[in-house]
Amino acid sequence: MSPLKKISSVKELEQLIDRLEKEKRGWKGKTIVVPGGTCGNARGAGNILKAVNEAVEKEGLKDVKVRATGCIGYCSQEPMILILPERVLYPDLDPARVLEIVQKTVKKGKIVEELLWKDPAGKTISKMEELPYYNKQKRMITGNTENLDPNSISDYLAIGGYRAYMKALNMTPEKVIEEVKSSGLRGRGGAGFSTGMKWEFARKAEGDIKYIICNGDEGDPGAFMDRNLLEGSPHSVLEGLLIGAYAIGASKGYLYIRKEYPLAVRTIRNALTQIRDIGLLGENILGSGMSFELEVYEGAGAFVCGEETALMASIEGRAGEPRPRPPFPAQSGLWEKPTNINNVKSWANVTLIMNKGADWYSKVGTETSTGTMLFSLVGKSNNSGLVEVPMGITLKEMIFDIGGGIANGNKFKAIQTGGPSGGCIPESLLDLKIDYDSLTKAGAMMGSGGMIVMDDKTCMVDVAGYFVKFLMDESCGKCAPCREGLVQMDIILERIKRGEDRGGDIELLEELASVMKDASLCALGQTAPNPILTTLKYFKDEYEAHIIDKKCPAHVCKALITYSIDKKKCVGCTLCATKCPVNAISGTAKKPHTIDPEECVKCGMCHDVCNFDAVEVV
Amino acid sequence: MAAISGEEAAVKKNTSKKGSVMVVGGGISGIQSSLDLADAGFKVYLVDENQSIGGAMPQLDKTFPTNDCSMCILAPKLVATSRHPNIKLMTASEVKGLQGEPGNFVVTVNRKARSVDEELCTACGDCVEICPVRFVPQLPEEKDVRTEMNDEDVKKVDEVISNHPQDESSLVPVLEDLNEVFNHLPEMVIRYVSQVLDVPLSQVYNVATFFTAFTLTPRGEHTIKVCLGTACHVRGAPRVLDEIKLSLGIEPGETTKDGMFTLETVNCLGTCALGPVVVMDDEYHMVTPGKFGDLIEDFKSGIAKPIPKPEGVKK
Ligand SMILES: Cc1cc2nc3c(=O)[nH]c(=O)nc-3n(C[C@H](O)[C@H](O)[C@H](O)COP(=O)(O)O)c2cc1C
Ligand code: FES
Repeated sequence: MSPLKKISSVKELEQLIDRLEKEKRGWKGKTIVVPGGTCGNARGAGNILKAVNEAVEKEGLKDVKVRATGCIGYCSQEPMILILPERVLYPDLDPARVLEIVQKTVKKGKIVEELLWKDPAGKTISKMEELPYYNKQKRMITGNTENLDPNSISDYLAIGGYRAYMKALNMTPEKVIEEVKSSGLRGRGGAGFSTGMKWEFARKAEGDIKYIICNGDEGDPGAFMDRNLLEGSPHSVLEGLLIGAYAIGASKGYLYIRKEYPLAVRTIRNALTQIRDIGLLGENILGSGMSFELEVYEGAGAFVCGEETALMASIEGRAGEPRPRPPFPAQSGLWEKPTNINNVKSWANVTLIMNKGADWYSKVGTETSTGTMLFSLVGKSNNSGLVEVPMGITLKEMIFDIGGGIANGNKFKAIQTGGPSGGCIPESLLDLKIDYDSLTKAGAMMGSGGMIVMDDKTCMVDVAGYFVKFLMDESCGKCAPCREGLVQMDIILERIKRGEDRGGDIELLEELASVMKDASLCALGQTAPNPILTTLKYFKDEYEAHIIDKKCPAHVCKALITYSIDKKKCVGCTLCATKCPVNAISGTAKKPHTIDPEECVKCGMCHDVCNFDAVEVV
Repeated sequence: MAAISGEEAAVKKNTSKKGSVMVVGGGISGIQSSLDLADAGFKVYLVDENQSIGGAMPQLDKTFPTNDCSMCILAPKLVATSRHPNIKLMTASEVKGLQGEPGNFVVTVNRKARSVDEELCTACGDCVEICPVRFVPQLPEEKDVRTEMNDEDVKKVDEVISNHPQDESSLVPVLEDLNEVFNHLPEMVIRYVSQVLDVPLSQVYNVATFFTAFTLTPRGEHTIKVCLGTACHVRGAPRVLDEIKLSLGIEPGETTKDGMFTLETVNCLGTCALGPVVVMDDEYHMVTPGKFGDLIEDFKSGIAKPIPKPEGVKK
């Protein structure tokens, strides 16, 4: 396709979009979609794409398009292909089977039954939307992923891209803000503050220059929604930024994306070049008098830089340490100018709101949490990946319907939401609705949308300890309650994990938690006790099992478990002895082996490799 | 150690051990040693070649690892040193020679002319104000770091810097690029960046040590990154890490002796559905406990080929 020309008026852009939309409607052939993204590529989407291209060429198919897209969310079933317009999905695919699919499904419209998704009872489902993973989802923001090549702006324009921006240009900035406000959109970065209100503050703030920032730092471990959006539909984020810049009156914007996402950075850089080339960035955009520039800024790897004031400090060239608020960024942000900062998902939602109208948008979700929310459902569930659901769906639906229950037939124990600032929710609360207020009431947090499913093989003391260690590493060290409090919490939790009983440790944890909540400088420290407080609230018996019974019920804490070999089950295959990294296992072939408890480092390797279930953990 | 300045050379012949100590160098460690010794009852001579004691610490904003205000720690010690009856401060002095044996040394100290009576001076600074010649305080001339680097490195750094605006806001991107070019951030490079971007060295160092993307020590040829994010954690990442540590014999942040592998940990790579994730150079691998051995063997024999990138993706 020839590169698009520079566009200098709204009318010209209208015409271009009209033309591309018409071309798309006129296309009656099939499209083979190969979802990629970082996760898809890691699972071999590249090989599938190669096989598809070869097969199409071999079969000499003319009216078939092959499209490499971002991830469509079902990460645990990658690599896959999706055939449009029928929407037939072939999950977990072997490149060797691609030719068969192209010959049968694409050429003749016949479905290859045995490659389809099967439910546990063996029933196959062909259509993507009918899979249990998708049928409760409402893909308002991610739904276009399969319809566009993230590296092609024409694809985005062909689905009506940048119409929302033109619509905004026809309104006054105040009207745009009014629209965002009445949509009820709340920030998707964690705190859930009204986006419209934030924009209004920034609009009203005095200043010769105003900035906007897209927060794509996504430091929450176990979350990858922002990565997927940036990789799959970069232009919908950029369009949101353009609308925001117009509404607020900003002349410069930054996209802060973490370095750990190289593909997202590349994709967004490419998209930026494209909109600059067609004249959607720069001076006097589309003759509207609006001037705006955007720049990508790669985060250098610090969780706390997701916090808005720390993020701005690092753009200014300093270490990412938060500062006290007020003044809020809307008054004094980047280089002390009024600045508005929103999460990647918030910006993408803005595009949608402008397109479909606030009324339409606010009908989705619950009264106080409108719209959909993107979650990354990961951990011990059968299905994992990116999930977009309307606010108000229950945790049970999320884990058991969409997530397909717990892997390996294990028992569900808890779900962790909200990243290191969130909490663990137990089975008894599974009917909880997922929205900002219900989660906060349960002691957890919506956060940016990471959901980690834990089964009975997960030790809750270990999980609490994990988050404390994480935050201890990531604390910037500027304020004492957070810096010192976390170290003390870590010491206490390590003691509990070793089964030592010093008396009063649990009370001490609670006391530390309350001080940190009140006295820390930024939300990192203020919310740091959440994982401990929720595990203490819902799983106190596990703490007590460690301290009093000296047992780790989930067999995780090394100091409290021992490995031994069941003489009756061991057939003497010697596999464990060869795999043991410290040579702690002895015995002759065909005779039961034994583990030397003195030498054993409790790595668990023998337990994993044994084919006869002969290694026991107590 | 007994310390005797040049004027008191007569004591040389006395062989009994002396209860006095000379501390050479008035940085924070010298100051603290002097204070401790003086409190323990020794007579301390604290020698420093500079006009004042304090060393490098007053130039720092914060101290590692606690990020405490550095002057807040140092200032009380400076005052205590100058007031301590057991400490004799000898600034603008250089040790020229040392003779004798432990317990009975003779030290020759060269005291530079100061032309100001130290006992009377209150450090008001008025003399500097009115001095017609030395009206401007004489700061030591800053050396051009380029002279200490080889030309090739200078060229590399210049090239990276020229791709960015020459101001403070480029600091992180410039360091990111340089870290890639040199595989770590050598000291001279950090000094040079500070000079060119006109950002205080302390700030460059602060940034270089704050973010995990930067390392100050050379890295190995290949980098192994183990994800310790929550999703990977519950799926067994700590055990994978233990296995890798045992297998390579190094801790995270270290490099194997042969310079082949550097082990690093990261908090989530955004591919949680794959967990536990291990990235070898730029390839993502799903590594369940017990699988690393095979992977590293494959990698070493060059079999582990990178998964091809989809063709639509442009660099
Ligand atoms: C420790 C910490 C980490 C944060 N990390 C992120 C992050 O990774 N991504 C994000 O969008 N917001 C993050 N935030 C929230 C931001 O400070 C800010 O509230 C958000 O970007 C505002 O956008 P929103 O109104 O669209 O939610 C973090 C906050 C804290 C305290
Ligand atoms: S937790 Fe390891 S990739 Fe996300």
